[in-house]
Amino acid sequence: MAIAAAAAATSPTTARTTATLSPPPPISSSSSYSSAQLNFGLPKSTARPRTTAGLSISCTMTRDAAAAVAVTEKDDSDPALWSRPDAFGRFGKFGGKYVPETLMYALTELESAFNSIRNDPDFQAELGGILKDYVGRETPLYFAERLTDHYRRPNGEGPHIYLKREDLNHTGAHKINNAIGQVLLAKRLGKKRIIAETGAGQHGVATATVCARFGLECIIYMGAQDMERQALNVFRMRLLGAEVRGVHSGTATLKDATSEAIRDWVTNVESTHYILGSVAGPHPYPMMVREFHKVIGEETRRQAMEKWGGKPDVLVACVGGGSNAMGLFEDFVKDKDVRLIGVEAAGFGLDSGKHAATLTKGEVGVLHGAMSYLLQDDDGQIIEPHSISAGLDYPGVGPEHSFLKDKGRAEYYCVTDEEALEAFKRVSRLEGIIPALETSHALAYLEKLCPTLPDGTKVVLNCSGRGDKDVQTAIKYLKL
Amino acid sequence: METHHFHFKTRRHNYPQVVCANHRVTTSKSNVNPSVLRLHNYGNPTADLAKERAVSADETKRPSTGKFGRFGGKFVPETLISCLEQLEVVFHQVLQDPEFQEELSTALNDYVGRETPLYYAERLTAHYKAQNMGRGPDIYIKREDLAHCGAHKMNNALAQAMIAKRMGLTAVVAATGAGQHGVATASACAKLGLSCTIFMSAADMEKQPSNVDLMTLLGAKVEPTAGNFKDASSESIRVWAGKLGEVYYLAGAAVGPHPCPTMVREFQSVIGRETRRQAAEKWGRTPDAVVACVGSGSNALGIFHEFVGDRTVRLIGVEAAGFGLNSGRHAATLAAGEVGVYHGAMSYLLQDEEGNIICPHSIGVGLEYPGVAPELSFLKESGRMEFYSATDKEAVDAYIRVARLEGIIPALEASHGFAYLEKLCPTLPDGAKIVVSCSGRGDKDATTVSKYLSL
Repeated sequence: MAIAAAAAATSPTTARTTATLSPPPPISSSSSYSSAQLNFGLPKSTARPRTTAGLSISCTMTRDAAAAVAVTEKDDSDPALWSRPDAFGRFGKFGGKYVPETLMYALTELESAFNSIRNDPDFQAELGGILKDYVGRETPLYFAERLTDHYRRPNGEGPHIYLKREDLNHTGAHKINNAIGQVLLAKRLGKKRIIAETGAGQHGVATATVCARFGLECIIYMGAQDMERQALNVFRMRLLGAEVRGVHSGTATLKDATSEAIRDWVTNVESTHYILGSVAGPHPYPMMVREFHKVIGEETRRQAMEKWGGKPDVLVACVGGGSNAMGLFEDFVKDKDVRLIGVEAAGFGLDSGKHAATLTKGEVGVLHGAMSYLLQDDDGQIIEPHSISAGLDYPGVGPEHSFLKDKGRAEYYCVTDEEALEAFKRVSRLEGIIPALETSHALAYLEKLCPTLPDGTKVVLNCSGRGDKDVQTAIKYLKL
Repeated sequence: METHHFHFKTRRHNYPQVVCANHRVTTSKSNVNPSVLRLHNYGNPTADLAKERAVSADETKRPSTGKFGRFGGKFVPETLISCLEQLEVVFHQVLQDPEFQEELSTALNDYVGRETPLYYAERLTAHYKAQNMGRGPDIYIKREDLAHCGAHKMNNALAQAMIAKRMGLTAVVAATGAGQHGVATASACAKLGLSCTIFMSAADMEKQPSNVDLMTLLGAKVEPTAGNFKDASSESIRVWAGKLGEVYYLAGAAVGPHPCPTMVREFQSVIGRETRRQAAEKWGRTPDAVVACVGSGSNALGIFHEFVGDRTVRLIGVEAAGFGLNSGRHAATLAAGEVGVYHGAMSYLLQDEEGNIICPHSIGVGLEYPGVAPELSFLKESGRMEFYSATDKEAVDAYIRVARLEGIIPALEASHGFAYLEKLCPTLPDGAKIVVSCSGRGDKDATTVSKYLSL
C-alpha cells in the first residue's frame, strides 16, 4: 500500500492508468519499489484537477493487454470530469508517448513550456494580437441562407445551417491557428529551427508562413509523390523561404514524411522544434494542438449567443487527423446537449479498401507516438489510405477522437469522394463559397443529417478551409 | 470606322481632340453624338478642394452628370441614359435605406469577413529601418487580401448584386480583366441566387485560367471575347444595352459612365473608413501616407476617399510601369496618358497619336487597364494625389520580399504598391505612419512568378 500511496502523492491519476503498453513494467502492490523509482520523471501536477469523490487508491497496473480500468460509474458519464488528457497524455487508453528515449525530454520540456504559457497574460496577449491582425480572427459565424433553404422540407421545416468561416483565415485554413501558437512557443524555448511534415501542403504552407513572419529557419518534409501532385504548394513554401525536402521512403506520402520529420527531430532535438500539424502524435501534441485550435469553438459559443441567444445543437466537422474538429468541439464537449459529429473520408467506398475511414474501419494500435485507431492490415502494417482530399488522407486519427468515439460522446460517419465532390459543387453554387474538399466531406454529410433534424435545429459546420487549391481536381472529376 | 476630330470650347479650357471611335455611339445617326455635347457643368478645377468635394458630394444626391472637376460624365448612347439615371435613383435610395444598409453590413461581416485587419508589418518595417541607420517609417498593411475571394473586389460586387436583387432583376452581367471581379461577382450572384454571365477576353482567360475555373465552379457562365479587357467591357455593356430591364450591369472598377464610378467608390470606401478607425485605435491619429496600387483605381479610391479632406495625409498611387515607362509597354495611365473619353467617361487614358487605345501591359493583370477612374484623374490634376509607378521586375521583387519577411503573399497588383516602399521609405521621417493597401492575395500569381523567375 505504501507504493500506491506514493503513487498517489506524485500524481493522483497514476492510480487509474493501465500500464500495459509502454515501459513501466507491471507492478503489483506487494512489491517493494520505492517511490523514487515510481516517479517516471513526470512534471508535477500537469493533470487537470480531478474531482473524483472518494479517491480510491487501487493500483490497477497489470500485464494484460487493454484490461478494463476499474471506474466508478458516476465519473464516467460526466464529460466535464474526464481527463483529457491525464498526466501520461492519455485519453482513456488512447494517446500516450510512444517515442524513442531521446525525445522524452523534449516532450516533457515542451509540455512544461506549454503549461507555463497557458496562464501567462503576456503570451496570451501577444498570441491574441497576432490571431487578430495577422490571421484575421475572429472568423464569422455565417448563416447559410440558401443552404438552409435547400434542406427545408416541403412542409417548410428544417434545421438552420451556420458555417464557421475558418476558410477566411490567412492562408485559407484553420491550420494557421496552431502554427502561430507553436511558433511562439518555439521562440519562447529559444529554438531557431522549425521542422514540419505535410501531405497536401496546407500545413507546410502555414508553417512556412509563420516561420517567415517570425524569421525562423524552416524545413518541411513532404512525400515525393505528394510533391508532384501539389507542385504549386511546393512553390509557395519555397517562396516563403522554407526548404522542402522530398521523402522517397515507403509510399512517399504523408505517413512517410511524418516518420522522416520525427527522425530529424530525434537527431536535432536541442535546436529544433517540430510543429506537428494535427491532434495526433505523442503527448503533449494532441492536447497542445487542440488548445491552439479551441478558439474556434470558443468564438462559436459567443457568436451563437449573439445570433440566437443559445448554443448550437449540432456541431459538424471533417476528420483527417482531427484538428479542426477538436478545435470546434473542445469548448462543447462538456455540454451533453450538443451533438458532436465527425465526418471521415470513405474514398471509393468502405468496402473498396481504398478509403481513410479510420474510426469506422480501423483498429487500435500505435502510430507516430500515440495509441489510437488506425488502418492496419493483419500483419500490423499501415494500410495506405485514399481520399480525393489530401488533408483527410491519413491512416491514423487523433487519440482524443478515438476516446470520444469509444465514450459515445461524439459520432463519426463517413462520406465518399463522389459525395464530397457533389457537396463541393453544391455549396459553391448555393453560397458562393468554395469549400476545401476536406470540408466538403462534412458538407456532404448534411444530406443525410438534415432530414433527421427537427425544425429550427441549429447546426454549426466548421468550414475548415477554402477550396481554391482543389479547383483543378474538382473540375476534372465533375467534368464541368 | 471613320474618325472625326472635335475641338470643343467651354468657358475656360480647350479640350484635347477626342476621337469619335472611342465613344460608344452605336445608335447615333450622325457622327456628332448629342450626348457628347452634354459637357456642361464642368466645375472649376482650380476651386478650393473642400468645396469641390462638397460639390461632388452634393452631386451624388440628385441625378446628375457625375463630374469630378472636368472628368467623369456620361458619354453613352441615348438608350443607356435613362437606365443610368434609374440606377442612380436606386443607388441613392439604398444609401438612405437602413434595412439595406443593415443587410449589407451583416453580409460584409459574416460573408466577406470584414472588418479586415490593419496589420503592423514588423519585419518589413525593420527591413527599411535597417537600411537607413535604424530610422524609418512604421508600416501597416490593410489586409484586403483576407476578404472572401481574396481581394477588395467583393465589397463592391456584393453591394451591387444586392441592388440588382432589390431592383427585381434576376440576371447579372459583368466584364473582368484579371478575373478577380468576375470571381467576386460570380460568388455574390451564387449567394443571392442570381444568374451570372461574365465576359472575359480569350487572352486574359489564358493568363488567369484558375480564375476562369473558379467562376465556372461558382455557376457563372464565362463568355470569351476577342481582344482584351476593353473589348470584354464593351461587349458586356452592349449586352446590357440590348436587355435593359432584364439584366443588371455590375461594374467592377470605378470607371465608366456615371453613376458607376461613384457607386463603386462608395462601396469600396468602407476600406478607408475602417482604416481611419483602426489608425485612431492603434496610434491615435490619421496615417501620414496611404499607398495603393492603381489599375482602374477601385482599391485606391476605396482607401483614399476617406482621407481626401485630410490634407496631412499623403495619397500615393502606384501604377504599372510594365517593361518601363519608355518601353511603350506599360499601364501607367496617369503618368503617361492624355485626357479623353473612354467607356463613357472623361478621364486620363493611354492613347496613341491617332487616338486609338494603346494595349497596356503589366505582369499584374489587374492593372492592365488603359484608362483610370475619373475621380483619380481629378485628384491628380488638383494635386491632391501623388502617383508613381513600378516595373514588372520591381513588383516581382516586392512579391518575394513581402512573402519572405511577413509570410504574406501579396497579389502582383498589390506588389506594385509594396515596390514603391523601396523609394518612399528612405525619404520619410522616423516613426511616420504609412498604410499600404494589400488589395489582394497572390496565390493566383504563383505560376506567373514561378515562370518569370525561371526565365
